[in-house]
Amino acid sequence: MFSEELKTLRKLGFRHLLLQVLNFASVLASGLMIWKALGLVTNTESPIVVVLSGSMEPAFYRGDLLFLVNPPNTRYQIGDITVYKIPGQEIPIVHRVLETHDIAKTVNGVREAVRRPENQLLLTKGDNNYLDDVELYQGLDWLERKHIVGKVRGFLPYLGYVTIVMNDFPKLKYAVLGGLGLLALIQRE
Amino acid sequence: MHSVYSRVNNVSATLSTIVMVLLSAIAISSFVFAPHPTGSIEVTSVKVFAGEARRYPHRRQEHAFVTFNLTADLSTLFNWNTKQLFLYLEAEYNNAKGVRNEVIFWDRIVRRKEDAVIAVSGKNKYPFREVSAKFKGSTPANYTLKYNLMPFVGILTYGEAARVTGPIEFPLARDRVE
Repeated sequence: MFSEELKTLRKLGFRHLLLQVLNFASVLASGLMIWKALGLVTNTESPIVVVLSGSMEPAFYRGDLLFLVNPPNTRYQIGDITVYKIPGQEIPIVHRVLETHDIAKTVNGVREAVRRPENQLLLTKGDNNYLDDVELYQGLDWLERKHIVGKVRGFLPYLGYVTIVMNDFPKLKYAVLGGLGLLALIQRE
Repeated sequence: MHSVYSRVNNVSATLSTIVMVLLSAIAISSFVFAPHPTGSIEVTSVKVFAGEARRYPHRRQEHAFVTFNLTADLSTLFNWNTKQLFLYLEAEYNNAKGVRNEVIFWDRIVRRKEDAVIAVSGKNKYPFREVSAKFKGSTPANYTLKYNLMPFVGILTYGEAARVTGPIEFPLARDRVE
């Protein structure tokens, strides 16, 4: 089955193989660059996330893609759908902001006139949940801005399901990645 | 040159390009529609009672109970790219400690155009608590009906459908229900 491919590979020579490896690496690198550039523009660590749970149904289902932004020095408003990550919790959660409390800090006994976005306390809730998220905050009473990855701006259905399948069946992931890599190497053009 | 691999490659590339172009056309098309949601909201009563704080059983915290009448026609928000509307009632006020509070105390998900003409006389769905424990000294609250339009594909948009004319004060806390 593979004898023919091996033969063509031998015919093409070592330099050609190196060239293909280089092409493959540049594809990977440009993907990473696009991802990081998106992160810079939107000011979030992950500009695109995949919905993993059904707590925002019927708006977001498992496998939907969400595009996030995190504008600096802007307060979050109720109704915003935020993605947050509490320390000690690995999976980020996508839930809607139910309450905001903008605190005016007191410095030397004088209350500041401006309420800074970083001093904002938030409470969130999944549209499909009966209760708000206090129980998910790992002992915290409120969510703070530093916990928030971004808010949902755009929506694309289903497409993220690929990554869920890949994570649920790791063998498939290796098979697909290995297959693509092999194809990229032995393809002649 | 015309191997199975290159054919599959071409077909899938064309297909995915077409799908992406169509999806972005749909996403952009939702900006063409000019929705004009109308509505009116009236807060019929606001009562304040002292109760227990949620996670601290020995701490007292005041809860507000709001009843309201709401009518709205949101059918113009439904176009071919509207998946659902998330409707919510917002109360906005500053408390005695200078904290600006915005609280959702009622919400509803509307999924069909037939359900987009709504008339509700209701009360708060979620507990409306004051962070500093007491409503005393708070500014009067503004009540608004807002919506979040969630598309099948594209950008999420927000808007306001109705507003109570003039802010409403919080009454003094009562100990018991009369």
